[in-house]
Amino acid sequence: MSTEPGRHSTGDPEPDPDETGRIMPDPVEPDPVEPDPSAPAAAPVERHMSSPPRRGAHRQAASRSATDTSDTADDPVEPDSVRESDRPTGRQRNGVGRTIVRGVGQTLITLGVIVLLFVVYEVYVTDLFGKQKQAAATEQLDEAWAEAWAQETTVSTVVETAQPTVVVEPSAQTIDPAQRTRSYDTTIGEGFAKLYVPAFGPDYVFTVIEGVEPDDLYVGPGHYPDTQYPGEKGNFAVAGHRVSKGSPFNDLGLLASCDAVVVETNEDWFVYRVLPMADEEATWATTQHPHCEGVEVQTGAYAGVYGRFITDPADYNVVRPVPGQSSDQVPEDAERLITLTTCHPQFSDAERMIVHATLVRTYAKADGFLPPELQEG
Amino acid sequence: MYSWIWRHLPGPTAVRLLEVLVLFLAVVALLFFVVFPWLEPYLPFDQVEVG
Repeated sequence: MSTEPGRHSTGDPEPDPDETGRIMPDPVEPDPVEPDPSAPAAAPVERHMSSPPRRGAHRQAASRSATDTSDTADDPVEPDSVRESDRPTGRQRNGVGRTIVRGVGQTLITLGVIVLLFVVYEVYVTDLFGKQKQAAATEQLDEAWAEAWAQETTVSTVVETAQPTVVVEPSAQTIDPAQRTRSYDTTIGEGFAKLYVPAFGPDYVFTVIEGVEPDDLYVGPGHYPDTQYPGEKGNFAVAGHRVSKGSPFNDLGLLASCDAVVVETNEDWFVYRVLPMADEEATWATTQHPHCEGVEVQTGAYAGVYGRFITDPADYNVVRPVPGQSSDQVPEDAERLITLTTCHPQFSDAERMIVHATLVRTYAKADGFLPPELQEG
Repeated sequence: MYSWIWRHLPGPTAVRLLEVLVLFLAVVALLFFVVFPWLEPYLPFDQVEVG
């Protein structure tokens, strides 16, 4: 197969089977935009074939022309067998025009392919990369926790060796979050907690990374470093990608009020529940749901804090200790909230989707204990 | 451009096809690992945080 245009009969703009064709002497490095001025002076040679050109045939033709010693360089704009009368001008116009049209066409096709490749990259390839990074971060966090846990249990087994492993009652593990203080440090780009949303399935778990820079969010949902930590008074705010990079927050739009958002830290389980939506506010008191214990329509300073809403990208107040207030101070009577932010609408970032949930229960971690909320599904 | 590349590839057609495939994959790798990661932050669908 050859992509040389018009060299031989296949690309001839003026097909004329019995016309005398000519093969031009080939310049060694042809300029496709400016045909070699010496070309028109070439001697006519016998038109020797009507089949598609092959390299062998080409070589044969070249030797017949007796002026051509090169078979590697061709003039790509050289049309074949042009009539003697209109040859110079016609050939020149044809050549330049064709070259330009072909160049534009190839450029457009190339750009189209690149755009398609970018879509593939954005939707699939970054997902793969993100999942690998997330797996690495999870492994690192699991190791750190296992190490700390082993040290702790070694100490306790020395003290109480006879303690048998029992099935742990959730009520026995329930603790007051006010008595828990954060016993871990975080490093930007590294995981420090795990986020479960049972409504998204039992396998929905992401390691939360410290930081919301692009590199951090590539790994997983990222904690706004200036906001509070899990279980603390104020607002534990997490951003996550909705599309690409592992897509942790793809389904935030499907969360219903009272759905559990469970956060696991090195020592505790924090069970948050999504706040009532704006359209449920009026009927909230009369329609109760078993999972909704501790979830109330927000009032006072928290009035207008709903389970999910769409806001402006610049609305940083949604991640402040009291969402909607511009203060960074955590009030004494502050609630313990979690806030999830992602882009909206899907495949765009013109707006942000915000999910607020409130802490309803805290469990101390123990061997063999998992919060019953994880089974809600 | 593409015809120029095709003419300058050595070997018979089958070998050239293989060379074209390798060239294409090299370009794709360059795009996926260098160009697109660089380009991404400038595009309007990658921001998920507020503020």
